[in-house]
Amino acid sequence: MITQTIAILIAAYRELNARKLFWVTMGINLLVVALFASLGINERGVSFFIWTFDAEFFNTTIVSPELFYKWQFVIWGIPWWLTWIATILGLVTTAGMIPDLVTAGAIDTLLSKPIGRVRLFLTKYISGLLFLALQVLVFTTGCFLVIWIRGGTVEPRLFLAVPIVVLFFSYLFAFCAFVGMVTRSTMAALLLTVLFWFMVFLMNTADDVVLAQREGAIVKLEDRTLNLERQSEYADRQIESLIEQGTPILDTDGTEITDLDARRDAANPAMRASRTRLTEAEESVETWKKWSGYSVAVKTVLPKTQETVGLLRRYMLSEEDDRRLSADDSGREARDEDPAFTDPRVQERLTIAKRGRTEVWIIGTSLAFELVLLGLTALIFRRRDF
Amino acid sequence: MTDHAIDLHNVAKTYRGKVHALRGIDMKVNRGEVFGLLGPNGAGKSTLVKILMTVIRPSHCDGSVLGQRVGHKPTLARVGYLPEHHQFPDYLTGAQVIDYYGAMGRVPKADRKKRTAELLDLVGMSDWASKKLKGYSKGMRQRIGLAQALINDPQLVLLDEPTDGVDPVGRRDLRAILTRLKDEGRTVFINSHLLSELEMVCDRVAILVQGTVRSQGTIHELTEDRHCYSISVVPDSTAQREPFEGVVPSLQGAKRGALDSGEWYEIDGPTLRVGAEDPARIRPMLAKLITSGATIREVRQVRPSLEDLFMEAVTDPNTGQALAPGAAKQKGDRP
Repeated sequence: MITQTIAILIAAYRELNARKLFWVTMGINLLVVALFASLGINERGVSFFIWTFDAEFFNTTIVSPELFYKWQFVIWGIPWWLTWIATILGLVTTAGMIPDLVTAGAIDTLLSKPIGRVRLFLTKYISGLLFLALQVLVFTTGCFLVIWIRGGTVEPRLFLAVPIVVLFFSYLFAFCAFVGMVTRSTMAALLLTVLFWFMVFLMNTADDVVLAQREGAIVKLEDRTLNLERQSEYADRQIESLIEQGTPILDTDGTEITDLDARRDAANPAMRASRTRLTEAEESVETWKKWSGYSVAVKTVLPKTQETVGLLRRYMLSEEDDRRLSADDSGREARDEDPAFTDPRVQERLTIAKRGRTEVWIIGTSLAFELVLLGLTALIFRRRDF
Repeated sequence: MTDHAIDLHNVAKTYRGKVHALRGIDMKVNRGEVFGLLGPNGAGKSTLVKILMTVIRPSHCDGSVLGQRVGHKPTLARVGYLPEHHQFPDYLTGAQVIDYYGAMGRVPKADRKKRTAELLDLVGMSDWASKKLKGYSKGMRQRIGLAQALINDPQLVLLDEPTDGVDPVGRRDLRAILTRLKDEGRTVFINSHLLSELEMVCDRVAILVQGTVRSQGTIHELTEDRHCYSISVVPDSTAQREPFEGVVPSLQGAKRGALDSGEWYEIDGPTLRVGAEDPARIRPMLAKLITSGATIREVRQVRPSLEDLFMEAVTDPNTGQALAPGAAKQKGDRP
């Protein structure tokens, strides 16, 4: 059993080794690490190779070199390089593994060996993940050395990138393997996987927007509740003053008002409008909570690609650093005057809400999706005649 | 332990769409023999081999391979297989291909190393061992394919079109290897179109047509009742009668029929063919011919070739035309 597994893994390595793209990706990995190493921060600002760019609010008096490098890894290394570019290159390189496995002529010899079909498929699938694991390991080791040498801190948590990014890639590769098994076409597997990934990305973006709107609506509701309370206090003081003076509070038709809210409205006419706005805010919160519920329900059955990679940010940065970075992000990404995107309180709530999504939900439901897909693929493979 | 390396009963395969590829195959392959499977394109030969190798799942199958039920995976560790139109990973060298499939066949590393070198030598590919397959010719790939089929020291070897793309020298080498395998006591099951090749090496054959076994046995058994003597005379244009008149007693204008002694006969111009294996049977006819003044040009014993058998099996007896290839023709029928 071990002999067969090792044989498949070695053959997979040789297959990757024979593909130029594997070495191209490895070269780009090292280039990105070299660029990362060439970045620096000093008391004047940010440096790049021999050049220094003065930055009044971004230098070592404000940000330590350690945090600077960790931020760069979190801002650029994870979301851009590992999540997008390296993953796309990984998919391009590995998309053909399952279609090649089931090619007529190639599969016959393997199936004639004393190995079960399910184990053959799963071992091949895992060998595909090794490609990305190897790439991420090289990249992470490079970044680890940069942060150690240039940032002056040993950050072993960086190596969490290997399992987390491989986990994230495995969701997509499971889909790729499924399409590859059904269609036996590398091109179909690649294109449909990218399309699926884009769909998941759109779903994540929609969830981000809905979540931001929900939190924004809650903050607005809190503001309006507070405002109404202040207006009520003011009105109550007015009413007390009128009572002390012996002046009755009369309606427009001259009858005395006894209802408290009506007396407050009479004492402070702005309260009626405030109460209406509060009701609107409550409705808005309910609406966004409802949509957020739908969004979470849909996301539950889909793989959480961004959130899985986002775990790395959670593990690498403290909550305070994360909030500082989020505030920075929101400043850069502010799309309009909508407080859902600009209000720092909303950003803070967003960070808390996102961090509130547990690893069990993020990884567990994503793995469930992956297992279902792998199960289906294995079932098709097991029952198919070649 | 059963005497049969392969013992099949009622093997059927119906693909989706009710296409019957195999319609109830009964077949026995003895241990230590070279067995040939013949049949036209689409007869179901490869389907049968693939069922034995678990590449295709049968619709129905009773039977065993090396004493275990068909589909028993561990048994495949004792079976070697060379598929038709194989595609071995071309990023591997010849030696790596053999080693890879050896490992997949659970052959220990030390044994693989030793046997890989031996097998490369056996198939004449030692000089190419460290070169990648993408630079190989079809014949060279076939040789490597044969080597990988033998890496696990198999008791049973199934070869699907092993001479495909192989030149005459390669075919001669293959025959030598098959002979050696047989001498070593292994069972070899060959599926091939090259009838003359099979005739030279096979102990027994089966002919498969449209998913059914038309005949099986040793070549002698299959051709036993088809042995005949051919008697040719020099045509005499001045003669007033047919050359074999009076020689074949019941001849009355008919070109074929049965002798009083029961043997069949057939007249084709100046040639008479008599279905007899014993030469004593034709002695009276020769005497009559000589007496009648005919000049005998040739008397010879005729044994039908495997090709004759094959052609007979794939010819529709009613129309005399070759049967349509493939099993789809019988769509909708039950096996």
